[in-house]
Parts: sequence; C-alpha cells; structure tokens
Amino acid sequence: MDSHIIKLHKVNFYYGQTQALTDISMNFGQNRVTALIGPSGCGKSTLLRLLNRMNDLIDGTKVEGEILFEGRNIYAPNIDPVEIRRKVGMVFQKPNPFPKTIYNNISYGPKLTGVTVADMDSLVEQSLRQAVLWDEVKDILNKSAMNLSGGQQQRLCIARALAMKPDVLLMDEPTSALDPISTAKIEELIEELKKDYTIIIVTHNMQQAARISDETAFFYLGNLVEYNKTEKIFTNPDVKQTEDYITGRFG
Amino acid sequence: MTRRIKEIIIKYIFFLFALVSVIVLGLIVSSLFREGLPVFKSVSLKDFIFGMEWYPTYDPPSFGIFPLIFGSFIVTVFATVIAVPLGVLAAIYISEIAPQAIKESLKSVIELLAGLPSVVLGFFGMVIVAPWLQETFDLPTGLNIINASVILAIMAIPTISSISEDALYAVPNEFKEASYALGATKYETITKIILPAALSGISTAVMLGMARAIGETMVVLMVAGGAAAIPESIFDSVRPMPASIAAEMGETPYGSPHYHALFAIGMVLFFLTLMFNLIADYASHKFRQTGSATL
Ligand SMILES: Nc1ncnc2c1ncn2[C@@H]1O[C@H](COP(=O)(O)OP(=O)(O)OP(=O)(O)O)[C@@H](O)[C@H]1O
Ligand SMILES: [Mg+2]
Repeated sequence: MDSHIIKLHKVNFYYGQTQALTDISMNFGQNRVTALIGPSGCGKSTLLRLLNRMNDLIDGTKVEGEILFEGRNIYAPNIDPVEIRRKVGMVFQKPNPFPKTIYNNISYGPKLTGVTVADMDSLVEQSLRQAVLWDEVKDILNKSAMNLSGGQQQRLCIARALAMKPDVLLMDEPTSALDPISTAKIEELIEELKKDYTIIIVTHNMQQAARISDETAFFYLGNLVEYNKTEKIFTNPDVKQTEDYITGRFG
Repeated sequence: MTRRIKEIIIKYIFFLFALVSVIVLGLIVSSLFREGLPVFKSVSLKDFIFGMEWYPTYDPPSFGIFPLIFGSFIVTVFATVIAVPLGVLAAIYISEIAPQAIKESLKSVIELLAGLPSVVLGFFGMVIVAPWLQETFDLPTGLNIINASVILAIMAIPTISSISEDALYAVPNEFKEASYALGATKYETITKIILPAALSGISTAVMLGMARAIGETMVVLMVAGGAAAIPESIFDSVRPMPASIAAEMGETPYGSPHYHALFAIGMVLFFLTLMFNLIADYASHKFRQTGSATL
C-alpha cells in the first residue's frame, strides 16, 4: 500500500532569477500531520504554496522537478490548477475571511462547484462543527464574519477550507496571530482533523511542532536539511544544524 | 522661536488656505443666488422648473426650463449607460487582468483622454460623428442626443475608470488569495470577491463621472443641437442646461428677467451637482465593507 499522498522529486523553485528551493525530494504521508520548520526566509511558505499551485499567481516563477499528488504530476500541462486547489485546501497565516456573512464565507467555495442549496445548510453546519465554531456562531450566521475575534476568524477560515472536502489541508503558521487559548483550540482541532485529512503545517513554534505533528521537516536556505519522525527530530536529530535550530542555538 | 509657536503658526497658515477656498465657494454660491433668485418675480418656482416652454426672448417671455432639465438628464443618463460599463471594465482589465506592458500603455491612453480639452472632443463630435450619424441614419441633423451622449461618455470614462481602478487596487490581496485557494477562477474571484469589495469606490466613481457629464458645457453646446423641446427619439436635438447658459448669456441684457433666469438655471445645476456629490459620499460609506481581518 502506498500511503504517500504527495511526493516531491528533485524540486527546484525560482522567483525570477533567485532560487528559493533547491533539490527538494520528500513524501507526505496520508492522514499524517507534517510540520515544516526552519528560520525565516528558508522557503517553507514557498514549498507549501507549491503544493496547491498558489505560486502560479506570482509573475515570473518557475518550477522544476516533479510534484505528484495522488500519483499525478500537478504541474503537468493538462492539469487545471483550480482542480488541484479544490482538493488541497489552504489556511493562511493571517485570518482572511471574506467581508461577507459567516454563512456565505463557508458556502462560497462549495457554491463554485455547484452544490445545491438544500445541501448547503447542512454542509455549512457540518463544516463549522468540524472547526469547533458552530456553537459560537450558530445564532449569528447572517452577521459579517469581520465581527468575529481573530481566533474565531481563523477557525472560520479552517471551516471554509473544510467545506470543500479537500484531501489535504495546508496551514501556513495558522496560530501565529492568535492568543494561547485560540491556539490551543486550533491545535486540538488539528488533532481531530488528522483522522480524515492530510495536514501540512508551517510553524515557528517548536513546542507546537512537537505536540501536533507526526513528521517534521527542517529547512535551511531553501534546502531540506532533515526530515524524520517528529520524535526523532526533537530528541535525537541526525544533523547538527537541526539540533542547533531546535534548541535555539542557531546562527 | 520655540517649536510650539512654529507648530501653531503652521496650523493657522493651513487653516487660512482652507478658509480661502471655503470663502471663495461661499462668494460664488451667494452671487449665484443673488442673481438667480430675482427671476421668481416674473415666474413661479413651479412654472420655472416644470414649464414646458423656454422662450426667453418672446414678448411676453416664458421661462419654463423643463426641456432643458430633461435635455441634461437624458444626455447624462445615456452617457452614463455608455461610460460605466466601459470605464469599469477598463479598470478591471487594468488592475486585475492585463499584463504589465499593456497595463502601462492603456493607463497612459486613458490619462491622455482625460487631458483632451473638451472643445477638441466637441469638434470631433461636430465634424466626424455628426456627419456620420446624419448619413448613416438619414437624419436632418447629426447634432443630437446620441452624439452628445457618446462624446460625454468619452469624457466621463477616464474619471470612472481611474477612480474605479483605485478602488480595485484597494481590495486586500488576502481576499483574492483566499478565493483562489478555494478553487475559484479569476473570473469568479473578480465578480464575487473583488467587485463587491470595491463597490463603494466604484459607485463613487460613477457618481463623479455623472457629475462631470451633467456640468460639461462645451461638448453639449457644440453637439447636442440646441433644441429646447422634449425630444421624441434619441436622434432629436436637445438643449442641456449648461449649453443654454453659455449660448444665451452673451446676448442677454444685464438685470433682465432672462439674465436672472440663466443664473437660476445655474442654481439648478449647482443643486444637481451637489446631489451627485452627496450621493457619491453616501455610497462610499454605505457600501464600504469592513476591511481585512482584525485581531
Ligand atoms: N513573491 C516573492 N517574490 C520574490 N521572492 C520571494 C517571494 N516570496 C518569497 N520570496 C523569497 O523566497 C525565499 C523564501 O520565502 P518564504 O516566504 O518561502 O520563506 P518562509 O520560510 O515562509 O519564511 P517565514 O518563516 O518568514 O514565513 C525568501 O528569500 C523570500 O525573500
Ligand atoms: Mg512563510
């Protein structure tokens, strides 16, 4: 059985002339939580955005190598990025709900795919329940999402991504703008979501990576330095650089 | 001199400059009213606004400006109908779709359009558009509603497009990214996320474009044809308010009822433009969506 949902083979990535990722080969396990760590500017977000082709939106970028999602090369010419983005959801660092009602934030994505209105109410409820937000917002579904707190907004963004029923959820520092209580809620949520989704999460918080992830990848200057079981990375890393970074002795 | 005194002096200098423009506006408006209001000694407000006959030089004269108001209204509406789609679509194309090179050149073309003196556009309407209309549709004259509307639209497009463009640029990038990440296409993102978020700015743009069209004098003077009657088709001539004022002011004896009537038309125009600006202001608040996420 092949339990790797995403496979990268010798991936290079360029913003114009500058190379942001060098020769990355790695596989992401299905229904696993993988943490991407590393100092600022090492290419974590770049890698994440490669996986749902969000980097396509930036002019002058170039990808080399192969990225397979469920066995298909997502950069093959016959692949529609829209198709990929429906299956690979994304949650951003800064909560970014649309300036619409809570309900319409959730229904926005599914409507694009043509879910009928009868299903919509239950889909909205289900997604909000999954993101543990339902009880807080069930009476204000028609209020603007902008009135929610930062932590609630971020869970709304997670619910919005889940409403698309993706296979993979990419999260780019989803808790960096949140207080400890909201952060704890989202970490619990990730634990819960892992049963049904493959999660790839960028984080600067070492404890967070250690708490929630099964595998951890350490990046430095666009290179994948070490990739292993989280336990191993945090207790007995093979590479000295990894250890220095994790223990905060970096630089 | 202490820093505090400097600050105070600077503050008052700025206040003075702001005051000057307010005073100038006040003087203009008050002289407009002083010269315009006396017309109501010879005609009632109702007969002035709703009167169907504009025969200011007859004996006895009749000062009904409804055909003039209607003329202004009709060319402004048609100009808006033409200019809004073109202006807004151009703005969308420039801000969201066009590649960098085309974007730059398109922007300069539109800026050039904004810089064209209205008399040049009016001339274009007179010697190019009018004969063409006349021949193609077999009309007695090509100086008519449709001609004036087209030329006014050309004048309003730069206003509408550049203000709309600013509104579109102001839509936070996070909204667009969120939309694309949910599998929306560019078209879906533009229509469902970007346009609604920019709606307040775009309505302001439309209102200011309309204000520009309704107050424009030279173009309507040159190409609207000048008939002070309610038109029956879009190929009829009309006499919008600014054209009336410009055409008749020179031959009117100072202090005559006709003279006051022209000022009173100016008052009507003033109120209309004021209304457009108030609506634009209201729209820019009303449709404002709360900005990006706050923590
Ligand atoms: N849009 C862009 N255009 C050009 N260069 C970029 C762009 N985005 C990122 N880069 C560059 O690519 C490199 C990797 O950036 P990336 O955002 O992936 O880092 P990161 O690991 O996510 O950092 P952080 O932890 O600060 O978010 C950096 O050197 C950055 O300057
Ligand atoms: Mg990043």
